[in-house]
Amino acid sequence: MSARGVGHVYGERVAVADVHLDVAAGERVAIAGPNGAGKSTLLRMVATLLRSGTGTLTVLGEELPGGARRARCGIGYLAHDPLAYLDLSPRQNLRVYADLFGVQDADRRIDDLLDRVDLIARADDPVRVLSRGMAQRLALARMLLHGPRLLLLDEPHASLDAAGTALLDAELAAMHSDGRAAVIVTHEVERIASVADRLVVMRRGRIVVDERVAGRGPAQVRARFEECIA
Amino acid sequence: MSTAVNRPRWTRQLAGLIRKDLRLELRTKETVVAMVLFAIVTLTIMQFGFGTRDDDLTRFTGGLMWVTLAFTAVLGVGRSYVAEREQRVLDGILVSPVPRVVLLAAKAIAIVIYMAITELVVIPVVGIFFVKGPYWDSIGWIALVALIANVCIALSGTLFSGLALFTRARDLILPVLFLPALVPVIIAGAGATHAVVGGPHDMSDYRGYCLFLVGYAILFLLVCIATYDAVFDD
Repeated sequence: MSARGVGHVYGERVAVADVHLDVAAGERVAIAGPNGAGKSTLLRMVATLLRSGTGTLTVLGEELPGGARRARCGIGYLAHDPLAYLDLSPRQNLRVYADLFGVQDADRRIDDLLDRVDLIARADDPVRVLSRGMAQRLALARMLLHGPRLLLLDEPHASLDAAGTALLDAELAAMHSDGRAAVIVTHEVERIASVADRLVVMRRGRIVVDERVAGRGPAQVRARFEECIA
Repeated sequence: MSTAVNRPRWTRQLAGLIRKDLRLELRTKETVVAMVLFAIVTLTIMQFGFGTRDDDLTRFTGGLMWVTLAFTAVLGVGRSYVAEREQRVLDGILVSPVPRVVLLAAKAIAIVIYMAITELVVIPVVGIFFVKGPYWDSIGWIALVALIANVCIALSGTLFSGLALFTRARDLILPVLFLPALVPVIIAGAGATHAVVGGPHDMSDYRGYCLFLVGYAILFLLVCIATYDAVFDD
């Protein structure tokens, strides 16, 4: 993806301003910053859920908003909420998304994913009766269902349980080899060293730091982050 | 992990969305049951409110039926995005490559089905409550105009519920926008019903009202196609 001078305004409040950001295939970029820095707004713009008021935004080779529908075929989005119908089962929810994304051999793919996220035994229970951690593992399965080339994750570790966290971290670790990219919005700065190659720090809607973190430890990343937002 | 994903066919997306809405309704039974009960209560109140047992209300049948159906439609249309809104699923749907007009079509078809189920109860109850004289012979004609009117209600209702979805005062805005838009449907539905029940049995009148409803449906279909992308993406 490539952002050139993108911005978004809510009413009179500038949420994101003049952001320039490139994410290459196979790259994992973590975006951190204090509350209200514009991280989630930027992620929602890349996810095609919000339009940029300024600049140009290109996702998976498609310039938005014109190419949004084609770009969406390759985007996997993990939000705070599981984005699942509570009165449907995990299997039924994944079936809805399989139809929307045109996933072939959907039944087998859904069973494979439910097995991977350890929900196969609860596949036919309503999501309403699942725990928060289980629901978020379903969200993980939903995000991976169509084999997206760009993962967009908003606070992915916030409500995942241990099994979900391990699965997500394994997924992010595998991304180098298969050329998928990820943009991860997170407050958990210590995790950045293990799940990302680059740290982007946002403050008041702007990017103040964009640098590689490969080889740094969690304490070093935390220290650098605090230095940036001080 | 690679997965076989083609450019999704809109027919599969549409079928998936309709199946989802019907599954949700079968599981929760919140919308259709509420619509049927509301319609029966409204007709019962009207039965008590208009005249005594001996009054012949046959010539008002069309008006009574279509006013009831219009208010019932507001209830049903108002619930059409409840699951997406309250369970916060909308972002998941919108980040998928589904054309927004397919979202509209799926919701509109679900509303047509809910209205048809409601009318299966309402049309006979109207006959029992208000009609003295022949009624059951005209059921087929009433069903036909109801079917066309349902498409009108579903198209305009889905457009307005989509607009109201992103406003804070959505419960107020929807009836304020939607009910005035339904006035032509009420007039034509009542007119067509009156033409075959309690009226002159003038089939040219009936045809005229039906053609008017078809025109209304085409107009709203064009408005929906022109605006629905903007409703969801702007």
